Amino acid sequence: MTVAPEQDVAVASILAPRRAHRTATADRDDVVRRLPALRLPRAEAGPRPARTSLGTGFLGIAATIMAVLLLCFDIGRFAFEWRSYPAPGLAALAWLLLAGLLVGLAFASRSAGDTLSPWIGGALVGGLGGVVALDALAVWGGGDLARDLTAAPATALVLLAMVGVRSSRSVILAAGGLGLVLAVLVLASWAGSPVPEGGLESAVAMIGRAVLPPVIAALIVHSFRRIVGRELERVLVQSTVSAPRFAVGMLASEELARLDLAAEQLLDSVATGRTRLPLNPASAQAAAELATELRLHLIEGRRQTWLYHAISESELLGRAVTLSDPESLAGLLDPKQRDALLQAVWLMLGDTPERSRRSATRVAIEITVGPAKPVEGKAKTMRVPIVIQTTGVARSRVDPATWDAMRKVGRHIDSQRGGSLCVEIDCVVEKPAER
Amino acid sequence: MERILKQRDRLLAESARLIGLTSTVVAFLLLVLGGMTLPALLLALPFFALLAGAQVRMGQTKAVEWPIATIVLGLAAVILLRCEAAGAFTGWTGLAGTAELPLPLADAMRVLTSGAIAAAAVLLTISLGRMLVLVGAFAVTMIVVVVVFAGQTLLGLAALSTIAGWSGLVAAGAVLSAGLLRAARRVSSIGRAHRSERQASETEAQRRQGARLLHDTVLATLTLLAHSGVGVSRDALRRQAGDDARLLRQLRLSASPLSVVSGPSADDEGTSDGATADPGDSLESVRQRFERLGLEVSWHGATSVSLPPQKLDRFLLALGECLENVRRHSGVKEAHVTITDDETTVRALVTDNGVGFEPAAVPAGKLGYRESIVARLTEMGGNARVFSAQGSGTTVVLEVPR
Repeated sequence: MTVAPEQDVAVASILAPRRAHRTATADRDDVVRRLPALRLPRAEAGPRPARTSLGTGFLGIAATIMAVLLLCFDIGRFAFEWRSYPAPGLAALAWLLLAGLLVGLAFASRSAGDTLSPWIGGALVGGLGGVVALDALAVWGGGDLARDLTAAPATALVLLAMVGVRSSRSVILAAGGLGLVLAVLVLASWAGSPVPEGGLESAVAMIGRAVLPPVIAALIVHSFRRIVGRELERVLVQSTVSAPRFAVGMLASEELARLDLAAEQLLDSVATGRTRLPLNPASAQAAAELATELRLHLIEGRRQTWLYHAISESELLGRAVTLSDPESLAGLLDPKQRDALLQAVWLMLGDTPERSRRSATRVAIEITVGPAKPVEGKAKTMRVPIVIQTTGVARSRVDPATWDAMRKVGRHIDSQRGGSLCVEIDCVVEKPAER
Repeated sequence: MERILKQRDRLLAESARLIGLTSTVVAFLLLVLGGMTLPALLLALPFFALLAGAQVRMGQTKAVEWPIATIVLGLAAVILLRCEAAGAFTGWTGLAGTAELPLPLADAMRVLTSGAIAAAAVLLTISLGRMLVLVGAFAVTMIVVVVVFAGQTLLGLAALSTIAGWSGLVAAGAVLSAGLLRAARRVSSIGRAHRSERQASETEAQRRQGARLLHDTVLATLTLLAHSGVGVSRDALRRQAGDDARLLRQLRLSASPLSVVSGPSADDEGTSDGATADPGDSLESVRQRFERLGLEVSWHGATSVSLPPQKLDRFLLALGECLENVRRHSGVKEAHVTITDDETTVRALVTDNGVGFEPAAVPAGKLGYRESIVARLTEMGGNARVFSAQGSGTTVVLEVPR
């Protein structure tokens, strides 16, 4: 018996360092770009975009209800002061417009689902500008807008109702704009005459009351979205814990299917004579690249473990964690140990606020797995040391749950190296069948 | 679940801190702008600073002490402001007592009771014990409001805004908490879907990677094409391409994970049949298939092997690959297979008298042998050994533990 001798393509490239999925995706695009003649079929579904609005629809409804209640209160105040208005009709029009906008927002966000399109959002904010203008015209003669404006500060309630369906940033920007407009109007109404008694105070009170609720709500919804987004990412990554010892990533089968299809089309076109033989240099080059890619993907996954995929598929982990596991020993951990290890890493990273991760001293974690050591007197198990070296993680700031998680992975010793936490876990795993 | 509860607690704490601190700052700003004298402000400052400190701590820890401290310090600040307005510290602050509260002072007090103090309410909704604290704290706050605004025209407004602030923030806490738990449930169902998606993807990749011999020939043909088909007749190359395209189409269209290996069995590239549960049949079908392809296989030893279906599959696949290699490369039309089956191991000896080869000369990364035979067996704890030399035939020993 002889081993397939017709195989003569060098395999050195296969043994080249593994590439992350992102690179693989980039390569795919690269191949597609370079080989237009081949019409490589594109993988149809890309990675699922994070649904940052998950669950905020609920908050949006609550915010809308709250806005309606506050609006009723403000309308009551307006009705009470009806007689003191120089032009109550205009002010009433402003209130009608405001109520209409709120109803419009409620309808739009119901039908839009999770996010409102920027156009509708922009139109609503434009409408709010109209409300402010009408209200300011209605009370302009009174001399002190800080005291007399009613519908204009209440426009912020529509912004409050918008937090669930628009990004926090745009709500905050709109609220800031509203505050600015109100301040300018108040200052303009004071122009040419001395500032009325207590005017400054009532101006600050009025503007603060208008601007702060939507801003605070937007900030809270922002944290809410961050928590949910993080949770989503964690849950997606967690699906790797049940993977076999060596696993392919989520995109691997898609990639392989795509390459197989490309090869099929090329071979088919050769067989049917659509592509003339001998191939022109460009097509020959395409065939060679296709073969290389295919070879790479057939081998890929043989040495990659769940931990590698967990890290490369997660935006948060991928940015901060580097893994060194030359013997693919992480694959030997049982699901409980994997889960706990992921959780520990997650807690170490997750506890640091967003800001410090962007700054110069960014949090980083380096995980080194192996080399394996035998356990004396036990043939079926072995010890896999895992060293987690962090940068920018103080021991005192680490969530206590991290240690519980570590304990589930194995016995551990922690120390400080260069002001940052370093944990050495002694992980006992079942020996794999002889290779 | 525990994790998400922790996240919820943190979200509520941070929200309470944000609302509380903002209100505290606004209240102080109103005092500054509202014409308070500097000593009066200086007197109030420590109270506000302590209040802000308690609010900051409230956002950092889970302990119930800090919301309570926030409420107590906030109420102390309100009472202090009322005393200043009543002229209790006239000698030092220069503020004369007035019957009616000055508006800025009243506003600041309202902001404190309905915002800075009420912020603690966000945190007092998450357990029954805390709700009791909440009710008590609200009662105390209302009493303080009624007492400090007693006899004022603003009493109604102050009481109303305090009630509105507390109820609004309690509702906000409850909504945030419910919303987060709701989102967490949805996230975990997405996680379940993702897990099965990953498994499906894994299976599909394994199916395709498992079609190794097929890929071997596809790669070979692609390589030929890449060299512009030099040295091969066009017809032969075209026919080969057609065969490969058909195999790939079968791979694409077949649904079950292993059927691809058995699918093209009538072709040049057929490997073993899809394993059935009956081992006797399986060995026989392997034999028959190679007979059709022109390789006479003589069987010795056990006529059936008993292995769990999964292992049997792989064992037969590896055996099929061995015979396929014999058929293609040995140059002889006959092979011997000896199966031994003892308590611990199933062993197959595949022997031919063909041209042989130098095992050491085979590059380590060859797909054919290493991937299709060795990998299949080692994945289940078995192994494969090759004994061969140029010109003196080949023997392969396949071993699978039970």
